[in-house]
Amino acid sequence: MKPEQFMRLQHAELEHLTRRHFLSKCTTGLGAMWLAGMTGRAWGNAGVLKKDPANPLIPSVPQFAAKAKRVIYLHMAGAPSQHELFDYKPELKKLNGQECPKEFLEGKQFAFIQGVPKMLGPQYEFQQYGKSGTWVSDRLPHFSSVVDDVCFIKSMYTDQFNHGPAQLLVHTGTQNLGAPSIGAWATYGLGSENQNLPGYIVLTSGGKNPDAGKSVWGSGYLPSVYQGVQCRSEGDPVLYLSDPAGVSRAMRRRSLDALDRINQKIATEVGDPETVTRIAQYEMAYRMQASATDAFDIKQESESTHAMYGTQLGKESFANNCLLARRLAERGVRYIQLFHWGWDSHGAGANEALNGGFKDRCKEVDQPMTALLKDLKQRGLLEDTLVVWGGEFGRTPMLENRGGNDNKFIGRDHNPGGFTIWMAGGGVKPGISYGETDPIGYEATIDKVSLHDLHATLMHLMGFDHERFTFMANGAPQRLTNITKPGTKVVKGVLS
Amino acid sequence: MMRFYAPLLISLVSLPALGESRVEFNRDIRPILTKECTACHGGVKSAGGISFVFRDLALSKGKSGKTAIVPEKPESSEMIRRLRNQDPDEVMPKPKHGPPLPEAQIALIERWIQKGAEWQEHWSFVLPKESPVTKLSNESWPSVPLDRYVLQHLDQKKIHPSPEADPAEWLRRVSLDLTGLPPAIEELDAFKKACAVDPKTAREHAVDGLLASPHLGERWAVVWLDLARYSDTFGFEKDPARTVWPYRDWLIRAFNADMPYNQFTIEQLAGDLLPNPTAEQRLATAFHRNTQNNTEGGTDDEEFRVAAVIDRVNTTWTTWQATTFGCVQCHSHPYDPIQHDEFYQFMSFFDNTEDHDLDDDYPTMHVPDDARLAEKASRLELQIRKLRDELNQTGRTLAEEKTQWQPFVPDAFKPSHGKLLIGDDGKIHTQGTLPVGAVHELSGPAPQFQALRIGIFPENDNPAKWPERGSLISKLDVNLVSASGEKHAIALKEVFADQVSGPFPIGPDCNLGDYPKLHGPRWFVVVPDQPVVPKDGDRLEIRMLQKASTSGEQATPVRRFALDVSNQGEWQKVTHQPERLKTWEEHTRLSKELQEIKGAKVPVMVEGPKRQTRVFARGNRMNKEQVVNPGIPKIFGGQTGEGMNRLDMARWLVSDNNPLTARVMVNRLWAQLFGVGIVKTQEDFGTSGTPPSDQALLDHLALRFQHDYKWSMKAMLREIVLSSTYRQAHNASKDLIERDPENRLLARGPRVRLSAEMVRDQALSAAGILSGKMFGPSVFPPQPESIWSSVYNGAKWKESQGEDRVRRGIYTYHKRTSPYPSFLTFDSPSRDLCTARRIDSNTPLQALVTMNDPAYIEAAQGLAKRMKENSSVLDGQLRRGMLLVTQQEPPADVLAVLADLYRDAASAYKQTPDAAAKLADSPEAAAMVLVANTILNLDSALTR
Repeated sequence: MKPEQFMRLQHAELEHLTRRHFLSKCTTGLGAMWLAGMTGRAWGNAGVLKKDPANPLIPSVPQFAAKAKRVIYLHMAGAPSQHELFDYKPELKKLNGQECPKEFLEGKQFAFIQGVPKMLGPQYEFQQYGKSGTWVSDRLPHFSSVVDDVCFIKSMYTDQFNHGPAQLLVHTGTQNLGAPSIGAWATYGLGSENQNLPGYIVLTSGGKNPDAGKSVWGSGYLPSVYQGVQCRSEGDPVLYLSDPAGVSRAMRRRSLDALDRINQKIATEVGDPETVTRIAQYEMAYRMQASATDAFDIKQESESTHAMYGTQLGKESFANNCLLARRLAERGVRYIQLFHWGWDSHGAGANEALNGGFKDRCKEVDQPMTALLKDLKQRGLLEDTLVVWGGEFGRTPMLENRGGNDNKFIGRDHNPGGFTIWMAGGGVKPGISYGETDPIGYEATIDKVSLHDLHATLMHLMGFDHERFTFMANGAPQRLTNITKPGTKVVKGVLS
Repeated sequence: MMRFYAPLLISLVSLPALGESRVEFNRDIRPILTKECTACHGGVKSAGGISFVFRDLALSKGKSGKTAIVPEKPESSEMIRRLRNQDPDEVMPKPKHGPPLPEAQIALIERWIQKGAEWQEHWSFVLPKESPVTKLSNESWPSVPLDRYVLQHLDQKKIHPSPEADPAEWLRRVSLDLTGLPPAIEELDAFKKACAVDPKTAREHAVDGLLASPHLGERWAVVWLDLARYSDTFGFEKDPARTVWPYRDWLIRAFNADMPYNQFTIEQLAGDLLPNPTAEQRLATAFHRNTQNNTEGGTDDEEFRVAAVIDRVNTTWTTWQATTFGCVQCHSHPYDPIQHDEFYQFMSFFDNTEDHDLDDDYPTMHVPDDARLAEKASRLELQIRKLRDELNQTGRTLAEEKTQWQPFVPDAFKPSHGKLLIGDDGKIHTQGTLPVGAVHELSGPAPQFQALRIGIFPENDNPAKWPERGSLISKLDVNLVSASGEKHAIALKEVFADQVSGPFPIGPDCNLGDYPKLHGPRWFVVVPDQPVVPKDGDRLEIRMLQKASTSGEQATPVRRFALDVSNQGEWQKVTHQPERLKTWEEHTRLSKELQEIKGAKVPVMVEGPKRQTRVFARGNRMNKEQVVNPGIPKIFGGQTGEGMNRLDMARWLVSDNNPLTARVMVNRLWAQLFGVGIVKTQEDFGTSGTPPSDQALLDHLALRFQHDYKWSMKAMLREIVLSSTYRQAHNASKDLIERDPENRLLARGPRVRLSAEMVRDQALSAAGILSGKMFGPSVFPPQPESIWSSVYNGAKWKESQGEDRVRRGIYTYHKRTSPYPSFLTFDSPSRDLCTARRIDSNTPLQALVTMNDPAYIEAAQGLAKRMKENSSVLDGQLRRGMLLVTQQEPPADVLAVLADLYRDAASAYKQTPDAAAKLADSPEAAAMVLVANTILNLDSALTR
């Protein structure tokens, strides 16, 4: 299909859908948004999407045909060191132990480094892997086997050097609170392919939520229905999913039947279309109880699958979450966000040291994330699933000297100037490395990619023009790629 | 990208028919300009030198040398030529931005230019005016003046109002609207009886009772807490606890006391600046201390101080003016006539408070556990501060006006870390890494002196680069060292400073400097207990220990400083005056007295030394431009002046010539009662918001509120809920729904979804288990395990016991990074930022809450018990349940459905006694719990 044909088709489809629902069902909330669309097309010129207010998560078509139907975002909270994983710099090795030259410190703001720190060479050995010849450190023995499926961006940079604001910037396009997360935009724009599961699911491991809290999967100024739903590995995966003790499935069905009958009567008498919507939502909740329970039951997987991921039943782990991510992707969940906490390798304590906790973190993620890529690939899902991996900033090529003193362990401070992320699947070029940092891995220098550029690229891969996919709030047409940051571009070099 | 900025305008404002002669700028022209033109020719971009936001720019020559609009001469107006042009290089809008305008719109613009291109300010920037209603289809329908406006509008649309709601429907509506709780069955019965006799009096009586209820404050405070972005935690990474619930209680008391809205405004924004402020007035200012603090290690306290100040500006504008002022932070407003600099002029009102993103929420006020001591504690605090200032002032005058200072130039340096050296400017500079605990030690030939002055300077001399990292001396040792190496410590009597401020007390025990940031040059005068008279060969040795750090162990050493001495006798005289010593004793006594009062430390606004507010280029705080004075934007009758402060700003908001404050507030009250505001975008009355559905009604209400009712919120609410408009039945025909889905025309009564808090409060109330306990620290009702897991924060959700488990929703602990999950599901905001409007969503997750959350099962159990207690007959029990939850008398078919459910469930539970036992103590009772659970999930239970 030609793009124009596709556009016409999707406009017609949406327009039909929304008008029909609007007339029959809508009164409040999203109604006005839809009303706005009465005068225009489904996608307004400035990219304002009209949603069906009665079914806010119904699947809808993007602005143009796209490769990525869903996203799995693996966020390594705390910011893993590029120097010990992917960004190999022999030059830095040579400088190890020397005082940091003055020009590296001028005009820089650090979270913890003070005065003049020492340079710190890479702490682990690197080798080249795959046909692509990608450099990977010895901390990721599994992952080095799939590098030819992966696209690295080594020239990422940000302007935030504290975790909370930096994570917000990664996920919402601004360091301030109050803007929607990428997943909220995705579910707002595309709806969800499975109405019996939340369209945007968040899974955490490492014992902690991300530093910026639930705002990193919030809906900001978008309607709250598009916020991420944090699912848990203990208890109900979705809050209040199980029937109460003493209420069987049959009993719940029976009570819902009674509820429906009375609500139908109310709908007829009162004429409030919200009532009709409510009836539908209760039915959906009932189905969700069954399908979410099923989706989260990883016991159903074969032993070999468990072995591949390295899962541990009944324990919260990144491995379990990776396997869940695949199960959710299979079921049409639009956006699956994983956080694995504990990458803040300052060296202030054993658990946050490059020669301590960092090694454990690598072990915790290496096998599962590799398994996830392989598993998606063998099931034919990698083609239209975009997997993204990364932290919120990089780490300094200098040894951290917290409070102006030497740390007990080896660590690096926060570094917004340069870091590495990788992507795989859904529309990205496999087996390449894009961009470079300077010879010591301090600052992105060649083909620099801002987080806004990354966002524009993610939007593009999902079928949206980031400048035309907007939502009116705070007096302006807002978008994921922060309107106050001009010059944002799709990173064409990573597109397949 | 220019064409879709304000889509709602066009859909709601009908264009006048072409034949109509009068063209009105706001009604006819501005919507076209906003939609089609201002994205390129506005406040951000003024392509070709043309902007349609300001009249003078629209009428002046563009870069092309041609004039866009020549009044009365459309033929000479470049605008018309470009709109009609066929040439793709010339036509406006540019083809890539959208198709040409319809000829009808161009003709309209042409006619407007022909008539003189008369400009009007945007409707909401012009003062409201009364437009009396003269002719109505039914003079007997209106009960109160507002009804006349509503009916006039309906007459124009040829729609009849709906009949009156039955008493039960109205009583449920008004009870939930005013107090957030459904009426008790006894109240319902009494009301029905009274209605049969005299409905008008019955309604007035009911409303007066509700307005007098202490629960009114609890319901309305919730609305304000969203605006105030109230939370029991700081936000960001560690998200630690903040003690600010006394402010929530202040709000409840203010609503209950019907504090006039002008006073309510002034006290929250500037209560601390009122003459002799009371404890309550100071507490009110916690409104703007609900901003977030970032305690993450390694964060810049200036960055988050500025973020808080900017948030205060934006919150003030959203809350009181419904204006998207935040836009102006980076550039002039894209559509509204507000200039970039005006943001910073306004910010200057808020830029001088002492809070600085500190981990202890400094500055705080002492709120005693014993409320009777509140005034005393506040008075003590103010008195102590005043005494301290007076004590300092003596030395300040002396130091600045009467003292001759001689430099003390050390000739030997012994720093513990880094280097000390004398710079070209004659000041002492540091080099290298200065960690926490660094000591600067220096010495030189001892002069004779009675006072030592330490000047602390920023490293950079350019004030636009200030503030810098803090500089704080934690301990100062001054010694005389004899030629033989004997050391004598010089006893220090007192310290004076250029200003007494900051989180640490200044004195001989130290804390000299500026923390957490150095805002500019500072000086401190240290006065020894006795004049220092050195012997020959004595050296003066000064040791400065610097052990303070900001979050993340960032040291705050002194990096550039100078020392001077004076041997003038006044210093000794002043510090040894008997009266002064008495004042110090008084200061100590009062401080002790304050310390002995037990209570909480609540963050409030405390004005500190005035800061120089500068314009941030493109909103970037690291790139500061010229200094500005505090001021109000010109479009609002702007006044600017160095001497203006927050109190002036607050008074301007509630002055007679503010066009927005009253409108915004009555619209908020209206939206709470009708589900949607007269201006739907409660947060935006500007050009990018939606226009009022009925401006005459809005203006009438605003004037009534401000003038007739002297800002009384209760009086305004009373009038609205007693209106014929509000009294209509909510049932609507299919036809009416199609014509007016959102009920903007008000041809029927409101039917509004219960708020998150109301859903919970109603369930507990119907179950008879809701605690009536008011005020106090926030509580922790049951919530599922492992919801809380903030990093570096050991705080736990410790489930409350006893009645604290079943308090009203407003008292539930609010953690910013992890709000109470069932409230979040029902669209209550995270309160990270000011939220002017909750947008209702309708999701399956809500159904899961009210069906399965143990809190709702507990409510169902309570409700079932009450149903059973009331009657021995099933129908009676079911009826009771419906009345308790919905106040509606259930018709026979509804009763039949519930009875069937009950019987089926009862027989099923008889088969499965174990399951039944999990819900209640008998199969029948368990069946009733299921029925109660079903009733609590009815559509009519979740709406009001």
